[in-house]
Amino acid sequence: MENSIELKNIHYSYFGKIPALNKINITVKKGEMFCIIGQNGSGKSTLLNIINGLIFADKGEFFFEGKLINETALKDKEINTRFRQKIGYIFQNPDIQLFCNSVFDELLFAPLQLNLSEEEATQRAVETLRALGIEHLKDRSVLSLSGGEKKKVAIASVLTMNPEILLVDEPLAGLDPKTQTFFIELLLNLNQAGKTIIFTTHHLDLVDHLQPQVAVLSEEHTVEKTGSASEILNDEEFLISVNLIHEHIHKHGEEVHRHFHSHYVFHKH
Amino acid sequence: MKTSIPEFLLQENRADNSASNLSKSRLSFLDKTLSGVAGILKTMYLQSEAGSEKNLLYRINPLVKVFSFIFFIVAISLATTLHAQLLASAFILFFYLIAGTSYRHIYKKILLLSLVFGLLIFLPASLNVITPGKIIFKICSFGSASHFWIYTIPQTIGITSEGIHIVALLFLRVLNSISLALLFVYSSPFSQIIKGFKVFFVPDTFLMILSLAYKYIFILSKTIEETYFALKSRLVGSIKNSSIRKIIAGRVFFIFQRSRTNYEQTYSAMISRGYSGKIRLHNEKKIKYPDIIFLLIMIAAGLLILFI
Repeated sequence: MENSIELKNIHYSYFGKIPALNKINITVKKGEMFCIIGQNGSGKSTLLNIINGLIFADKGEFFFEGKLINETALKDKEINTRFRQKIGYIFQNPDIQLFCNSVFDELLFAPLQLNLSEEEATQRAVETLRALGIEHLKDRSVLSLSGGEKKKVAIASVLTMNPEILLVDEPLAGLDPKTQTFFIELLLNLNQAGKTIIFTTHHLDLVDHLQPQVAVLSEEHTVEKTGSASEILNDEEFLISVNLIHEHIHKHGEEVHRHFHSHYVFHKH
Repeated sequence: MKTSIPEFLLQENRADNSASNLSKSRLSFLDKTLSGVAGILKTMYLQSEAGSEKNLLYRINPLVKVFSFIFFIVAISLATTLHAQLLASAFILFFYLIAGTSYRHIYKKILLLSLVFGLLIFLPASLNVITPGKIIFKICSFGSASHFWIYTIPQTIGITSEGIHIVALLFLRVLNSISLALLFVYSSPFSQIIKGFKVFFVPDTFLMILSLAYKYIFILSKTIEETYFALKSRLVGSIKNSSIRKIIAGRVFFIFQRSRTNYEQTYSAMISRGYSGKIRLHNEKKIKYPDIIFLLIMIAAGLLILFI
């Protein structure tokens, strides 16, 4: 399988002072399901921003389908359009991602900016609304939607681009269980259809559900370990060391007790 | 992960040491202002967004709607007879009825605005000092008429029938124009209003900026209201005005910071979806038969009040 995304020795810091990413080396293959896990503040979202060409590394190189992507490269209109067409990004907070007036306008935004004809853009928007079961929201204002509806519209607004690579920041954040299940199924279906999915999370159950290739970011903002989902989830000591599982307190009847607890792969009390 | 709980949290809160009995909270002025502003925004938003697809005015093509309403407003401004203005008022009221908006609530606002801007301001025009004519109501009399430069104060000052006609005409013009403008706002979702601007060949980029500004105002008002509620829930007792000012100033800065972050993230989301400096928006659906019928009715009504 050819490489889709390659990050080589990526460094990034905010204002040149606060380190966010340090010596990141990651390779994502075409059609792969890839997950970046790490505790809050480890640099997961920053990494997605770099992969989407929204910010640029202080040091290191980012290759997309073998081509070097940096600020200069994206100034070329043709490269920029191709790059944007192929990578879709679903932000954690749908509120900031939705900026058009109506849901339908939101779905049409990306295809129109990427020079699709009005007819094709409209057809894509209609089909996506139907696929996600949100046709009834078509003419609604995005401001009037509930949290779950906003998330669905945010997903739909990216899917109308038909991206080859889908970046998803914290897929389950702020969603009720039903919408979570819907989203997990959608990601699996898209991946089976050949799309490359790269998502971030700190929920190990999601890693267990989707069984992606995993890169674990540490508190030091470096890639601590990469491997398959089962390799990562079975390494209890490692998960404790990167604060992804921790001592857990709960009640059994009237008795309160503590232990390291995980329901993924191993289930230990 | 062990959590240590501070000692005071383990004690029962008897709430007997609060300052709440000193005087009443001084937040009422804030309360009225903020809830008033938030209320207006919410009403406008709900009225314009909660329209039904079954509603006739909602289904009209926004370009046709904007053009028709502007034509009608121009006709109202040019119509010179009271009959024409009254006919226009009846016509607009009919549209309010079929638009499914809560017209009683809106008409209260319209009447208030029209009384201020249409009646009180023009009221002096009913006097013979400004509009000469037949006096029908005498106010006061002087010994003789006075002349000053180009002005003349007549011997008797009173309300003239011509003056009343002019004031009534101006009042009805203002009333009709305001009610028509509000009918458009309340019967159209914001997306339609924005698309309606295309009648004036407003560029897509500018329309996008307007949309973002609208969204920003809405989110900002929501943030201010929520911040205020949070403030209110924690202020149990009396507080000095200077302290309130400090808190509000701090919150204003916080909201500014938050909106800056939101703006940056929204811009990233736009870039991510292909924005490269030039916006291309979806063109509104084609004009259908009901749109043409609506346009013809509006043009006919406009011409009728012009030539009546």
